[in-house]
Amino acid sequence: MAKAKGTLIQKAQESQSIADPPPAAASVVGLSKHFGKTSVLEKISFDVAEGEVLVLLGASGSGKTTILRIIAGLEMPLKGKVILHGKDVTDLPARERGVGVIFQSYALFPKMTVEKNIGYGLRIRKRRRKEIRETVNELLALVQLEEHRKKYPSQLSGGQQQRVAIARTLAYKPEVLLFDEPFGALDTQTRSHLRREIRALLKKVKVPSIFITHDQEEALELGDRVAVLNEGHIEQIGTPFEIYNHPATEYVATFLGAANILEATVKEDVLEVGPAQIQASLDTAKFRPGDCVKIVFRPEDVVLSPGDLLRPGLTRISSALVEEIIFVGAYERIRLRLDLGGEECRRDESPYLLTTETPERQTTKAIIATRPKPEASATRLQAGDRVLVAITSFTVLEPQRDTDVTQK
Amino acid sequence: MRHVRGFDVVRPLSIGMLIFMMLPLVFLPLASIFIFGTRTGLDKFWAALMAPEAIFALKLSLATSFWATVFNVIFGLFAAYVLSRYNFWGRNALIVTISLPTAIPTAVAGFALLLLWGPYGTLGRLLEPHGLQLMFTAGAIILANIFVTFPLAFGVIKPVFDTMSRSLEEASATIGATRWQTFWHVTLPSLRGAIVSGALLTFARAVGEFGSTILVSGNLAGKTQTAPLYIFAKFNEGQIEAANAIAIVLALFSFLIFSVLFFARDWLDVD
Repeated sequence: MAKAKGTLIQKAQESQSIADPPPAAASVVGLSKHFGKTSVLEKISFDVAEGEVLVLLGASGSGKTTILRIIAGLEMPLKGKVILHGKDVTDLPARERGVGVIFQSYALFPKMTVEKNIGYGLRIRKRRRKEIRETVNELLALVQLEEHRKKYPSQLSGGQQQRVAIARTLAYKPEVLLFDEPFGALDTQTRSHLRREIRALLKKVKVPSIFITHDQEEALELGDRVAVLNEGHIEQIGTPFEIYNHPATEYVATFLGAANILEATVKEDVLEVGPAQIQASLDTAKFRPGDCVKIVFRPEDVVLSPGDLLRPGLTRISSALVEEIIFVGAYERIRLRLDLGGEECRRDESPYLLTTETPERQTTKAIIATRPKPEASATRLQAGDRVLVAITSFTVLEPQRDTDVTQK
Repeated sequence: MRHVRGFDVVRPLSIGMLIFMMLPLVFLPLASIFIFGTRTGLDKFWAALMAPEAIFALKLSLATSFWATVFNVIFGLFAAYVLSRYNFWGRNALIVTISLPTAIPTAVAGFALLLLWGPYGTLGRLLEPHGLQLMFTAGAIILANIFVTFPLAFGVIKPVFDTMSRSLEEASATIGATRWQTFWHVTLPSLRGAIVSGALLTFARAVGEFGSTILVSGNLAGKTQTAPLYIFAKFNEGQIEAANAIAIVLALFSFLIFSVLFFARDWLDVD
């Protein structure tokens, strides 16, 4: 199911120009935004399906908050559209959009009790008292704050305040929920606890949600899909499994946890990393012989063997020297230096392109491996040992073809 | 002096010194009003207080101060909203101008109002043919009070506006509230403390205003004479008891207002 969703979204992105957008709970189309002369968003497009949680993941300054504020109507885009349930709301003020925003600072009204806060949306809509009371009771039960109903926000803990904030937005049945780093101000324990609670809550209420965060763990855990943002554009959008295991770009690979990156040259049916050769079946449409590509694999994908023997099904890379072993509790982290010589990815391109690469990456062939406890105690290693390095899986990044330069 | 065995000699000494210094400067003058005023007996004091002119002066002071306070609180709220929400060219100049009356001598303020609204003043000249005369009326006293207490409410309310999180108003907007609903339900309750203390400050200051009032009111007993002017007039006439009775009332009154400001602070800022 996750796969199907992924392809649907890709299609949606490709068919931006088609008049009829696919039915989605919320979508943004070609959002661009400038602050002064700096561009903060460039042609951002994505859809959120009914009941889906989409996480916008990015470092600070990646533009994720701006996207959220544009959807909420608190900021105007320079170009592009915001569509909620098929209706173009780009020109509507915030109060007419019917979105629910959960702010990092909670933004609870300090002079109102918990139940007044929750009932606010209905009171300003002039609903009948009985209806307001019933809805408030329901929501208090949903977020488990019944005994705190008469308290003021300042008398609640951070996690409780955030739950009030969620109940307050759910009260008026928003078309879409927007979470602006909702756990940013909480300590680690409350964070992971509340994260699980909210995940369960969102599954229950089935309101489509957009969640922004800079925490990759949070993104992977909460999102049905995750969009990785970098400097105002989407690097990749996909299920947590896809973006973690098959990153599309080096940025995505390194932003989502630790990643080892090796440069390789594409040959007929192998990848050449220095003197070593790696078996890989590559899509010939994307990879051409002679291309310089990057191989990405996670530290936990690395298998070390003290002898010459390897389990079948692994991809052999080369022998390596154990440089350092660090014990980090649940597992051990090993720094290895691959015996790949000084040979670099062979290129046929102009020297101008060569200089754009950072020099360290060309010569350093150090990688990181992690081993869980059972494996670490079964085959003990120490600095100075020589091992054989293989990987269980890897991703080959598409070569960045700067057609303008290479074709001319 | 040494700090010996947990007993800090400096502590009682400095507290004693502070009280000693304040004695001739504040405590004794205040005490003398009460001692002198009640020396001849409470019935004399009461009679002096109940004199028609005295009652009129007190009433006039309270009424004019009340209207000046109403105006300045509403205006201060509005000015604070505009100057803290919008950034525009000349914003700082406006802030300085609003705050300026604090630094202007009150006699100068009264004189300036006379120059503008007096019978031969720039604007007063235009009113004269219509038989309108603003100066030397209760209206002139209100005008002088507004001028002198102009920055007080604004000065208390604006910092609260400045520190108020924008996300409260944004949250209210996304929930579906209009600007007016947001202001009424979200912004205003957070300003309650600032509004009350701003109003009390303005009122206390206006009740005691002398310098500008004496110039613009004409100081007509039973017509435009406020309580401070009454004290001054009776003192000049040698009627010390009459002056003293009103002085006691005004002193008690300011004492009351500052007690409210001081002790109700927690209530005013309750979250």
